[in-house]
Amino acid sequence: MADKTRLPQPLGMLIDRKQPITFSFENKTYSGYAGDTVASALAASNQWLLSRSFKYHRPRGVLTMAGQDANSMVQLHSDPNALADRVEITPDLEVMAQNYTGSLSRDRGARLGLLAKFLPVAFYYKAFFKPRGMWEKWAPLIRKKAGLGQINLNYQPEYFDKQYQFYDVAVIGAGPAGLCAALAAADAGAAVLLVDENAQLGGSLNYARSDLEGTQSRQMREALVARVEANVNIVAMTDATCNGWFADNWLPVVRAKRLYKVRAKQTIMCVGAIEQPAVFHNNDLPGVLLSSAALRLINLYAVRPGQSAVVLTGNNDGYTAVLDLVDAGVDVKLIVDLRDAPAYDAIAEHVCGLGIPVKIGHAVYAAQPDATGLHLGSVDVREIVSRGHCATHGEIIACDTLCMSVGYTPTYQLICQAGGQLSYDDDSAMFTLNQCPDNYYIAGSVNSLWTLEAVVADAERAAIIATNALGMSSRQIPDLIVDVQPQSPNFSWPIFAHPKGKEFVDFDEDLQIADIINATRDGYEHIQLVKRYSTCGMGPSQGRHSALTTARLVADATQRTVAQTGVTTARPPFSAEHLAHSAGRSFYPARRSNMHHRHLESGAQMLQAGAWYRPAFYGDAAARTQCINREVDNVRNNVGLVDVSTLGGIEVRGTDAGEFLNRFYTFSFLKQPVGKARYALLTNEAGVIIDDGVACRFGEHHYYVTATTGGVDRVHQSMLKWNAQWRLDIDITNVTSAYAGVNIAGPRAREVLSKLVTDIDMSAVAFPYMCIREGSVAGIPARLIRVGFVGELGFEVHVPQYAGEALWDALIEAGQGQSIKPFGIEAQRVLRLEKGHIIIGQDTDAMSNPAELQMGWAVSKLKAFFVGSRTLKELGKIPLKRCLVGFVVDDPNAPIPLESHLVVDGDKMVGRVTSCNFSPTLKKPIGLAYVPPTHADAGSSFTIKSSGGSLVVAQVVDLPFYDAGNLRQEL
Amino acid sequence: MSVVISPTQTLRRSQLYRRHRQLGADFAQFGDSIAVDHYGDDEVSQARVLGLADLSTLPRIGFKGLGTPVWADSCGVKQPAQPNWATLQGDNTLVARLSSNELLLASNLTGSSKLIETLATATRAHRVYALPRGDSHSWLSLCGEQAANTLAKVCAIDFRAQYFTNLQIAQTSLAKINAVIVRTDIGDNLNYAIFSDSCSLEYLWDSLLDAMSEYRGRAIGLQALHDCATL
Repeated sequence: MADKTRLPQPLGMLIDRKQPITFSFENKTYSGYAGDTVASALAASNQWLLSRSFKYHRPRGVLTMAGQDANSMVQLHSDPNALADRVEITPDLEVMAQNYTGSLSRDRGARLGLLAKFLPVAFYYKAFFKPRGMWEKWAPLIRKKAGLGQINLNYQPEYFDKQYQFYDVAVIGAGPAGLCAALAAADAGAAVLLVDENAQLGGSLNYARSDLEGTQSRQMREALVARVEANVNIVAMTDATCNGWFADNWLPVVRAKRLYKVRAKQTIMCVGAIEQPAVFHNNDLPGVLLSSAALRLINLYAVRPGQSAVVLTGNNDGYTAVLDLVDAGVDVKLIVDLRDAPAYDAIAEHVCGLGIPVKIGHAVYAAQPDATGLHLGSVDVREIVSRGHCATHGEIIACDTLCMSVGYTPTYQLICQAGGQLSYDDDSAMFTLNQCPDNYYIAGSVNSLWTLEAVVADAERAAIIATNALGMSSRQIPDLIVDVQPQSPNFSWPIFAHPKGKEFVDFDEDLQIADIINATRDGYEHIQLVKRYSTCGMGPSQGRHSALTTARLVADATQRTVAQTGVTTARPPFSAEHLAHSAGRSFYPARRSNMHHRHLESGAQMLQAGAWYRPAFYGDAAARTQCINREVDNVRNNVGLVDVSTLGGIEVRGTDAGEFLNRFYTFSFLKQPVGKARYALLTNEAGVIIDDGVACRFGEHHYYVTATTGGVDRVHQSMLKWNAQWRLDIDITNVTSAYAGVNIAGPRAREVLSKLVTDIDMSAVAFPYMCIREGSVAGIPARLIRVGFVGELGFEVHVPQYAGEALWDALIEAGQGQSIKPFGIEAQRVLRLEKGHIIIGQDTDAMSNPAELQMGWAVSKLKAFFVGSRTLKELGKIPLKRCLVGFVVDDPNAPIPLESHLVVDGDKMVGRVTSCNFSPTLKKPIGLAYVPPTHADAGSSFTIKSSGGSLVVAQVVDLPFYDAGNLRQEL
Repeated sequence: MSVVISPTQTLRRSQLYRRHRQLGADFAQFGDSIAVDHYGDDEVSQARVLGLADLSTLPRIGFKGLGTPVWADSCGVKQPAQPNWATLQGDNTLVARLSSNELLLASNLTGSSKLIETLATATRAHRVYALPRGDSHSWLSLCGEQAANTLAKVCAIDFRAQYFTNLQIAQTSLAKINAVIVRTDIGDNLNYAIFSDSCSLEYLWDSLLDAMSEYRGRAIGLQALHDCATL
């Protein structure tokens, strides 16, 4: 049985009548078909009221059927402000209206309309702040009223991602111009991306007739789309929005849950034009809609826009719309033609012969609601007596539909983003675009061409220029295309003020004619200021339907031309997009040492240091302190094993390797013996300490330098930079990832390691402190470095990355008899603190120099130069302003200070704590802090402002805290 | 009786071996290396569509320095004329020229390369420095007709076959980490060798598999690559 809510086929090209779908709107069940949007399905069920307006809560319905206006914004489960004329219905979709109090049809918020005269433009700038303190009272109320839709706080993130795409030519818009441009470019051999925001290729060919019979558009569409679909050089993306333009034709194209990052060598914008509403009293009532919206309803969804209609037109397109309305069974009561001398085309001539009354030189002065107050009931048609003014009396025509066809603006947003200039032609009352950048073209109605012949020629011309630029063709570029139109499609002044106002310029923000004019009277004459003062164009539709009218009104009010007035800046995104599109699928690089899984298997609590995962400590997170203390204790008394694979490693090789290190680091390295390691402190040109490590000389011309985990990349880059200047004969290679490493430390370390080493004499005499050896450990080629970072007998063992896990296993197994246990970064921090060793970045800051840190011993006084030497020399001439000292807290009841707690002297801040831990070895809190030089001597005391403001007295002590004679590390 | 080969029976272990096991991998010996032979059946078909193989345990080495081109030439290494191009030796050892004075060599799919063995122990000329590419860099193989589309999700380079030709090199950022990507088709199958930070291998593997899922991509073993080479 035929569905009486729908027009017969072939109308309704987007819906599949074999697939009925039920959904709900405002908790009431509706039915539609697959392919229907929420708005079309509701319209088919005679539900025209979609939402309430932002400010006055006025009833709003279908305006564009193109996803271009705020009227159609509805609430989906997790998606506020979804566009009802874009969102396709799906089974059981739940849709709610937005911005009402009570019910959609009986919105108590509509009472605000009664207060309209007390809410002039920018009233919020003028009110609420007097008397002093009033804003705090108003703010909660206003914030409650502000905003549209509800955010679902239980929203579960969905998978959004991004993909790069590369094309010779990107064609944005797949109407007649876009289809022809794409085909012409593809036929020349270009790889073409064709993007259209609609569900189907064809643009206006899908719904707008171009000939009396109504066959030309359909046939042309079918032919062009068939060719596009058959062309292997064209990728067509529908339901996709090009949301911006960035330099070098970088185009963000949003489709479903993906942001395509498109790079096009050439871009052709065929984005069409946006039909504009007329401005008159109550022009926002549901039932008042653009002619193009009516045509979309009829042709795309087989929905009759109403039963009885009046067509308000300022061009011949309104007459074309009449044909479709009549064919759809709509009783067209009257054609109201704004023009006083219309120049008809063939279709308009034909329509004039249909017997439908036509009033020339007339306007719709006002629309009036029906008995419900929620829909159009009649229009007041009056003669135009002068620009924008109507006769005092007119004729009331009962109707439920008013179609407006008064002109267009080019869809200028993406063109202006690219640098295109918008001009206004007074003769045609139309904006035009020019001065596009290189490799960027516009074609079709966005280029102010309207006949199909001109549009096709213009598109092909743009494609020729593009493919010529690509070197894919060398065709003669046709002359600029000129349209042959009897009259401009834009009526110059479809704006009619009403004593009661409510002639809406901007539907989003409920802005009326007086609001725009009053903004200029308040002194905000520049269009950008008018926008910000009035909020015109700041709503969801971003001025698509208000920019032209606003420009005209402001120009008129300020005695300038529309061209001088212009429009506001159009910034990306072109249409609303989810934040998830920008965030997309994020990449968080993660680096894992070869022993990573052994740490997990041993119960490590991991932390991330930069991209690296490192074991913080091993054991139950709830017993953190006990775990760390046990690990410290085991290193001090037995032997511990810590993963140091993350430490930086840099090979410096070549005949000038020693000279290079001598210039780069503060210490002297020229005479460093082969087989020895030496502490390497790095300062920058300002003398600030930026890294440290150990330089191991494995050969006359070969150093292996370690660096901090977080600093190695910077050190490597700095080395490359300096040697680009010094041009020494060396090679510098960052081999951090090539080596896995452990530090086996504790009094029993040698005992354990010796079990696995057969080719190195591990005795203290043969392999003393700060010496290095190459050999094998458990059969793995290894570099061994005797270090003492944690203050115990210790060996760093560096092996090829692939064998890290095997090394770990071998050491753990070999150390079972010596109670070997892994220890983490936290224990290492405590151990090094007990030894008084600094951590770069924790105990240093952007001003720290060696003297402040009492590390003058690490700076050669004999070298003529090293990076930072000149600055340090100058700094040495002035007194120190602060010193890093070791301190203990003897009061057992005092809270343990934390890093960054302030050192105070009365009310003055005189320093800060950089490191502090409870020492399991010394059984008291120990730490490092910057203090004034006057407080730097051992035995001095200073005050730390600790948690909650409590003051803690700390005693300065000599470093290290532990094993002052360094006997343990030199065992 | 077939011998079950474990990925941990040698020192050189891919950092992915646990993931391979979870995917049901069977391991096999390739030269001195142990790598995934296969995970399931008919991986050749998978390789034709989209496959990801872990070749990280296979031999590779690098050299750089002003003396490298001449020295490598004297050692019989056939080098590309220009940086960012690669060439295959007679035994299919890959030689990628990363700069005028830097070479990366990777073995063929059998895991053996006499050239790499020879160069690793050869006396190097002045200003020739060995690079531990086998340790510093992981090696993945992304292959199949959807490989370029997959890379487009994680990298800004245009890898489509008609624009990024066989043996061309891109030194770029892949899923926000540095990578050397060499197009090395296997037979007539599109293939990209990806050399990247060895410590980021698990991250990169997961990122690529995630990007591949849209195209029904899966992990494949080396056997499928071998079969692609010989079919």
